[in-house]
Amino acid sequence: MLGFLCGEALRDLVRAGWIALSSVLLIALSLLTLGGFWVFSTNLGGAVARWREQLRIIVYLKTEPSPAAAGALGQRIRAAGDVAQVRYVSKAEALQTLRRQLGAQAAVADTLPQNPLPASFEVTLAETASTPEATRALVERLAALPEVEEVQGGTEWMERLTQLQRLLGLVGLGVGGVLGLAAILTVTTATTLVLHARREELDIMRLVGAPEAVIRLPLLLQGIGQGLLGALLALLGLVGAYRLVRPRLEPLVTLTLGLPHTAFLSPTAVATLLVSGALLGGVGGWLAKGRA
Amino acid sequence: MIELHRVSKVFSVGPVKVPALSDVSFRIGKGEFAVLCGPSGAGKTTLLRLLYRDEVPSGGRIDVADYNVGALPRSRVPELRRAMGIVFQDVKLLPARTVYENIAFVLRVLGTPRAEITPRAFAALKAVGLSARAQAYPAQLSQGEAQRVALARAIVKEPALLLADEPTGNLDEGIASELFDLLKDIWSRGTTVLLATHQAALAERLNRRTLVFHGGRLVKDAR
Repeated sequence: MLGFLCGEALRDLVRAGWIALSSVLLIALSLLTLGGFWVFSTNLGGAVARWREQLRIIVYLKTEPSPAAAGALGQRIRAAGDVAQVRYVSKAEALQTLRRQLGAQAAVADTLPQNPLPASFEVTLAETASTPEATRALVERLAALPEVEEVQGGTEWMERLTQLQRLLGLVGLGVGGVLGLAAILTVTTATTLVLHARREELDIMRLVGAPEAVIRLPLLLQGIGQGLLGALLALLGLVGAYRLVRPRLEPLVTLTLGLPHTAFLSPTAVATLLVSGALLGGVGGWLAKGRA
Repeated sequence: MIELHRVSKVFSVGPVKVPALSDVSFRIGKGEFAVLCGPSGAGKTTLLRLLYRDEVPSGGRIDVADYNVGALPRSRVPELRRAMGIVFQDVKLLPARTVYENIAFVLRVLGTPRAEITPRAFAALKAVGLSARAQAYPAQLSQGEAQRVALARAIVKEPALLLADEPTGNLDEGIASELFDLLKDIWSRGTTVLLATHQAALAERLNRRTLVFHGGRLVKDAR
């Protein structure tokens, strides 16, 4: 029976001809757009995650504490939550670091009447603070400590990047969504045309007592078939474009985003695109099916 | 097999109510051959459409093979129709399929095992004397042959009841007579047959129970 249903669906697909082909192409186009934005967003997301791992918050102190007091303060900072590591940097160590950074001009530091650099703590964020909101909250908690002069570790640029990443995702979804809607309507039209062509067959099927599932399933299957075909085309297009662009774009991405390699869609994302295609086609077939 | 109790059917055409059947009651037993006779517009086709639940009665009760047809939910209509074969005046063959495919199509949509399809389709074609025309397309058939294919398609699922709505309406008398003989053959193998025709003389020659309709009423039940 399944063979018969699939055979009927294939026959319908051929019968729909050009209009079925245009539905397949529209589905491919919508998923290609969505997939393209997805690849871009994935790489940007990778860069943000990498930068976030390297992110440190510097907590500058009003006065240099005694070693015991520094240890106690370090404990309190750790207890502030969302903190992975805390490292105390004394005034002397800060000056030494400055000398290292100045290199040949290190002697300039020796001309200073006294060490002007404050003691500080370098705070490494925990995984739980990976959202901009959590990072901002931690900064506020640390700034509220009485020994603290200032907290640096601006997350604003990171927030902006995260927002850009979200915006890209939304634009991709929006454009893909509009194209997807057009694809659904085209599949519906293709299936409706098939329905008109099959009117006599459907009448006969009903008169001989064929179950409704047998009458309607081929319509749904041919919609799903168009969707899957479109999704496969979109994936082929994405792989082709990625292979073409990658060698030219990767050095630029490494330079600007700091990513060693660009990434393609994960197997889950590929499966999602395929399922989305099947769903787009299925919905189109289902909508037309209502007119059967 | 078929029982009608005070059945009526009224069609609404805008605000106008058109009665098609009024207060019709009769019973046809299992294995019986009955003829619905009457002029065009007498209500024969409406009655058949009620029997295969293409329409629902406006009043009364219809029972067909243990189904209360009027009260049957839509989801169970296919079940009722699987118990019957239907033949129409306009044959309704699928033009893009061969004679064999037209018949096999019925078995396929009903989920018949693949191995049974060909032997059963050819047995049905043999029963109507058209085995040699299996690969012909409907457009290549004469009207008489097309009607016989329609008959083969109706009997291929071995129904308990055969409904024939003016199957000889487009045929000349000689071919119509042959088709009636085929119907009698099918009936003689145990199928209940209900034939609707306006050809009173041909119906008379069948020498079977005849229910005469006029203006939507059953006016005579001659056994």
